[in-house]
Amino acid sequence: MDIVNQFILLAAGLLLLSILASALSARVGMPLLLVFLSIGMLIGDEGLGGIVFADIRTAYLVGSVALAVILFDGGLRTDVRNFRVGLRPALSLATLGVLLTALITGLFAAWVLGLSWLEGLLIGAIVGSTDAAAVFSLLHSRGLELKQRVGATLEIESGSNDPMAVFLTIVLVEALLAGQTRLGWDVVWVFVVQMGLGAVFGLAGGRLLSLVINRMQLSPGLYPLVALSGGVTIFASASVLGGSGFLAAYLAGLVVANRPLQAGQNILRFHDGMAWLAQITMFLVLGLFANPTALLGSALPALLIAAVLMLVARPLAVWLSLLPFRFPRQEQLFISWVGLRGAVPIVLALFPLMAGLDNAWIFFNVAFFVVLVSLVLQGWTVTPAARWLKLEVPTGSGVIQRVELDVPGEFDRELVGYRLDGESPAAKATRLPLLPEGVRYAAVLRDHQPLDTCGLAELQAGDYVYLLAKHDDLPALDGLFSAAPDIERDAATRYFGEFIINGDARLEDLAQVYGFVLPEEVHGHTVTELFATRFGRRQVVGDRIVLGTVELVVRETEGAEVSRAGLKLSH
Amino acid sequence: MHITHLLTADRIACQQDLTSKKRVLEALAGLLAASIPSLAEVDIFDSLLNRERLGSTGLGTGVAIPHGRMTGIDAPVGAIITLKNGVDYDAVDHQPVDLLFALVVPEASTDEHLQILAALARMFSDRKLCENLRASQDAEQLLRALDGWELHRATA
Repeated sequence: MDIVNQFILLAAGLLLLSILASALSARVGMPLLLVFLSIGMLIGDEGLGGIVFADIRTAYLVGSVALAVILFDGGLRTDVRNFRVGLRPALSLATLGVLLTALITGLFAAWVLGLSWLEGLLIGAIVGSTDAAAVFSLLHSRGLELKQRVGATLEIESGSNDPMAVFLTIVLVEALLAGQTRLGWDVVWVFVVQMGLGAVFGLAGGRLLSLVINRMQLSPGLYPLVALSGGVTIFASASVLGGSGFLAAYLAGLVVANRPLQAGQNILRFHDGMAWLAQITMFLVLGLFANPTALLGSALPALLIAAVLMLVARPLAVWLSLLPFRFPRQEQLFISWVGLRGAVPIVLALFPLMAGLDNAWIFFNVAFFVVLVSLVLQGWTVTPAARWLKLEVPTGSGVIQRVELDVPGEFDRELVGYRLDGESPAAKATRLPLLPEGVRYAAVLRDHQPLDTCGLAELQAGDYVYLLAKHDDLPALDGLFSAAPDIERDAATRYFGEFIINGDARLEDLAQVYGFVLPEEVHGHTVTELFATRFGRRQVVGDRIVLGTVELVVRETEGAEVSRAGLKLSH
Repeated sequence: MHITHLLTADRIACQQDLTSKKRVLEALAGLLAASIPSLAEVDIFDSLLNRERLGSTGLGTGVAIPHGRMTGIDAPVGAIITLKNGVDYDAVDHQPVDLLFALVVPEASTDEHLQILAALARMFSDRKLCENLRASQDAEQLLRALDGWELHRATA
């Protein structure tokens, strides 16, 4: 009995400690995952805690379940609208990119460690995929809003490239187990089965799950649990039948979140917490499992492999995979740098251990070390790198205080609440602000008293305003009901320019007003057409074109077209 | 670049009671035409309106800078109108506009034109100044507020 209670105390205490430590890490800008991993190592048998944990199967179980939850949550958070700009490049990175990264890194690893080339490739495959948890948490961290094309590509890539790395790892482990020295063509068949089954289970399972959630009448607390257990079930059934469970979990999340969903907000918030819990548990356990002294033993070769991975393999793979998509150079550089490695390599490094391969511990230690280096170096520098490469877009929604509530029975609308800031446009206006089409006032409270919204003449600072709106209306509502501080507005002006130009404005007219000579090839074009010719279908907010004495910066898009551009006078 | 050099008291109208973007642009064209004998009011109005068709010149926070380039003048000329109640101006932040600076520049001056516009945009990002301009009851008061601001800028 006592031992059980001690275990509970330990586990709960660790969880609490990790969460508290995360508050500290936000202040130092240190990657959170690194904190959890370090705590795990610190309490391990060689650290202060002296806890002996060497059970490969438990570590693998925890890692797999946690990854399934994280990928499902990642899918829930991926906006289908990002597909227009990010899907194809991301898929190219997730397949070709992983293969190239694994090849280059693997051949180097074989050489530097003196292993056979299949063993080297196995190391390459293990560290081949970028980490969904690390990338998601970085991209969604406060204060970093990337250009959509970059953010979308990285996000979809990290969600969809694990299956490729898993597949390569499994194939190589089996080949080594069977004593093969080269790979046969049956590998292709395994690939088709894994990805095919994963995709079918993910897409079909996701549809089924959203149907179940929307049809069932449950106590509100159960909807998130239905989603979670459904997601893990889809993961497991795909895996049991030989498909890629990770792909299935990610796709299922994607399908569920991008269809009208009962209790959607509730489900999202719950999964946010669950993804955190999964990350913390997984990294604690993996940190606990690792053996710091042994890690140090492989430090030098691992450091070299990490360097080749980050500075040669990844950039080369990114460049080749993105070749057909004409990404601007800064964006390619950034995508190369955000090849964050995380839990997946460590979990994959458990495969050879379970299979009992000869050099399994070398693989594990090298992979673990590579992840550490990547988290420290890349994780720590992502935000400065984004600023340096000018890929950050000013948002104005960085510090918005609003509540979002589900409307029962109404899946694509929600209730949004603001406490009116005295500096917001709505509070300063002398009449009731004009709302976007389809948005209605649901309630206004002043001094704890509900007001009649019909006869309401104006809003005041301190009012609580609740509106019935679609999710797409939120940016416009944020602009009305919360205050963009002067700093943010100035940043937006610096980024987008002083004035706004409509998409249908003719370039000749612009040239006339601002007195510049229009290049021959764009005569007769509108602003929309100008951007379409230059950037194709993947144009995003923040793309810019210098035109004579002024610069045009995409400010809003509608579908794949530029609807409004900023005009920058001084550039 | 001194903004006040673009203005004279007779091209400033405070606390006007105008009800639409069109009326405000007409009033601004009127102010400008009165002191530029070589230009017709309707041509100035057309020039300003044509620029608005490309995209609203509303900067947000109730400020707009309608502008145009015209033959028949040899120096940039500005005019200011403030309104009692804001008008719908299709501005960036969808909010009504009640403080407007109109600018017309000669056909030849392209770089100067851009520099003045950029300077105006910077000037109107000063919230305190905008409040002072809006509160001004007449041209003298408004010019004093502008002078004070430029002096403060020169010494700061």
